[in-house]
Amino acid sequence: MVGTVSAARQRGRAGAAFAAGLALGSAAIFTALAAVGAVVGGRLVLVVAVAIGVAAVVSDALGLRVRPQIHLQVPEPWRRTMPLGRALFLYGLLLGTGLTTYVPATAAWALPVLCLALGSLGAALAIAAGFAAGRALPVLVLAARGGETVLAERPHGLRLLRVLAAASLLCALVAGRVEAAVTVASPGGDPSVIGTELAWQQPGVGGFLRRGGVTAPLPGDSPAVGATFVVWHKGPLVTLADRTTLAPVLEDSVPGVQKFAVSRSWLAYRTPTEIHVRPVSETGPGTTVVKVTQPATLGRPALGVDLVVFHRASRDASWITAVNVVSGRRLVFRYSRDDQLLNPSLLDGQLLYVRSTRCSQQLVLGRARGKRDRVLYQIGPLAGQDAGHERHHTRQGEHLPCPFRPRPTARMLWTTALSPTTAYVTVLKPAPGGRTVPTLLAVTRR
Amino acid sequence: MRQGQSGLSDNIAGASSRRGFLARSGRLLIGVAGGGFVLEAMRAQKAEAFHFCGHIYTTGSCPHPVGLPRIDAKGFPLRAADGKPVDDLGRPVDKLGRPVDAKGALLRDPDGNPLPPAPRTRVCTRTGREFGFRPQIDGAWYRCCGGRIRKLVDCCGYVRNRINGDAALTGYCYRGRRVFCVMYYDTKIKC
Repeated sequence: MVGTVSAARQRGRAGAAFAAGLALGSAAIFTALAAVGAVVGGRLVLVVAVAIGVAAVVSDALGLRVRPQIHLQVPEPWRRTMPLGRALFLYGLLLGTGLTTYVPATAAWALPVLCLALGSLGAALAIAAGFAAGRALPVLVLAARGGETVLAERPHGLRLLRVLAAASLLCALVAGRVEAAVTVASPGGDPSVIGTELAWQQPGVGGFLRRGGVTAPLPGDSPAVGATFVVWHKGPLVTLADRTTLAPVLEDSVPGVQKFAVSRSWLAYRTPTEIHVRPVSETGPGTTVVKVTQPATLGRPALGVDLVVFHRASRDASWITAVNVVSGRRLVFRYSRDDQLLNPSLLDGQLLYVRSTRCSQQLVLGRARGKRDRVLYQIGPLAGQDAGHERHHTRQGEHLPCPFRPRPTARMLWTTALSPTTAYVTVLKPAPGGRTVPTLLAVTRR
Repeated sequence: MRQGQSGLSDNIAGASSRRGFLARSGRLLIGVAGGGFVLEAMRAQKAEAFHFCGHIYTTGSCPHPVGLPRIDAKGFPLRAADGKPVDDLGRPVDKLGRPVDAKGALLRDPDGNPLPPAPRTRVCTRTGREFGFRPQIDGAWYRCCGGRIRKLVDCCGYVRNRINGDAALTGYCYRGRRVFCVMYYDTKIKC
């Protein structure tokens, strides 16, 4: 291929045609694999992909013989019978698919399987770009320098290429592992975090507090941490305690209390239909921030400096609202008439919350007063879709809700907590009788 | 001639539907009067030309949380497979819009509270919002599908193009409105 490119009168154009063909071919094959993966992918495919990836890393790092190899070569007559630019474009197209000619590194075999496992169009395009660049650059560089036989004469270059491929693949696998969510507690949910101290609730058991790697039970339910405090309740009895010593600072009776948030100055709590806030040093019902009529629901409150943030979900829309406790001013941080927005957390102006759309459930992070969010963690939607047309009828005119066939899940993203390094989210798994069992996950913030 | 007869069958089928016909008796009448050819033409429409039973012409479905544009009497989405009400996320819900499991039990959080409802919007209303027009349901027509009378409903608006992207038709829309997309409501009336 180096010889063909260097034989062209206009090497630049010939090289560009070759690179374009490679990019197109690899994009086509990898996105097709991703599309298939979106339908058939699952945990098993992911495990197989990671196993192949690890094997490829080992093979390339140790310089083992690359197996398997495809003996099919690109059609040689093309370079004689076609204009060189067109022939190089078609060569690129064939090589881009990865289905022709020898591959110099085992890592090339890991990429299609990873695409299949990820089932993501964006990831597939990124992998395709990397694959095309990896195949194009050596050819173009050697063609420019006139060194067609360099790799054959000096195998160190190829060895270096394989080590680099192994390192890149290893980085991708490690990064993928970092991106994945880690289970913190199961069953466990409703996290609350400050710095490295994490509190959560285990249903039917009570609250737990983890600090310095040590997990200890708390003498109450639904714990929340903030500033120097930790708060929990036992039935209607609410206890505000020192976070370090767990010595009670204040005790009070609040009928119907379910969830808390606490900061340096404020204590917010939720009953089934109301959210109240009061100064942390006072007792009594405090100020009613919001009240709803069922079936609308309120989420667990979160506290900023003087802001109490919560979700309100109804059949019409869902809101993430903040109320300034001092001024009483209301701010709508997020609003949707189509999606469900749930359980926000607030830290240093950053808002973490759950967005359930028709085609996915996402844990998203963004500026509280901004509009752009990024997805930290994503799982399938809560429902599948039908064929869009009735049996024995054509597809003409059907309109499906999701561009890819969704992989629905019964698991539901729920409450959140945000620390400077980690986002926490509860995942609810349905159990018989409509009950749900929570699992607490930690996702690294990027 | 064959083309003319096919057009005739269209006209007869269309006209009879507009007068609140019972599709089955209409087809029988046509079958007796016009012979098997016309009947066959109608069968062919149902089997090959359109994406759900009773739909005539080619206007596409309104966007629906599950796919097939089945609605209830008030225009809210139902799951086509079993007629269960669904919210905009496609989940089965109870009368108050709260999510339920496959057996109809109310889903609850670990504290025992019902899980929050998601928005549930009339299919035509949501379509209008998504595509930027003021939606209106004007007329409807009826067909016999699966042994029940099916009401086929146009989602109308002051639009030039329908959801397919090409020119919108007048259909059962009034006052200059045109059909943007179609939905259906399965009644309990046997046919």
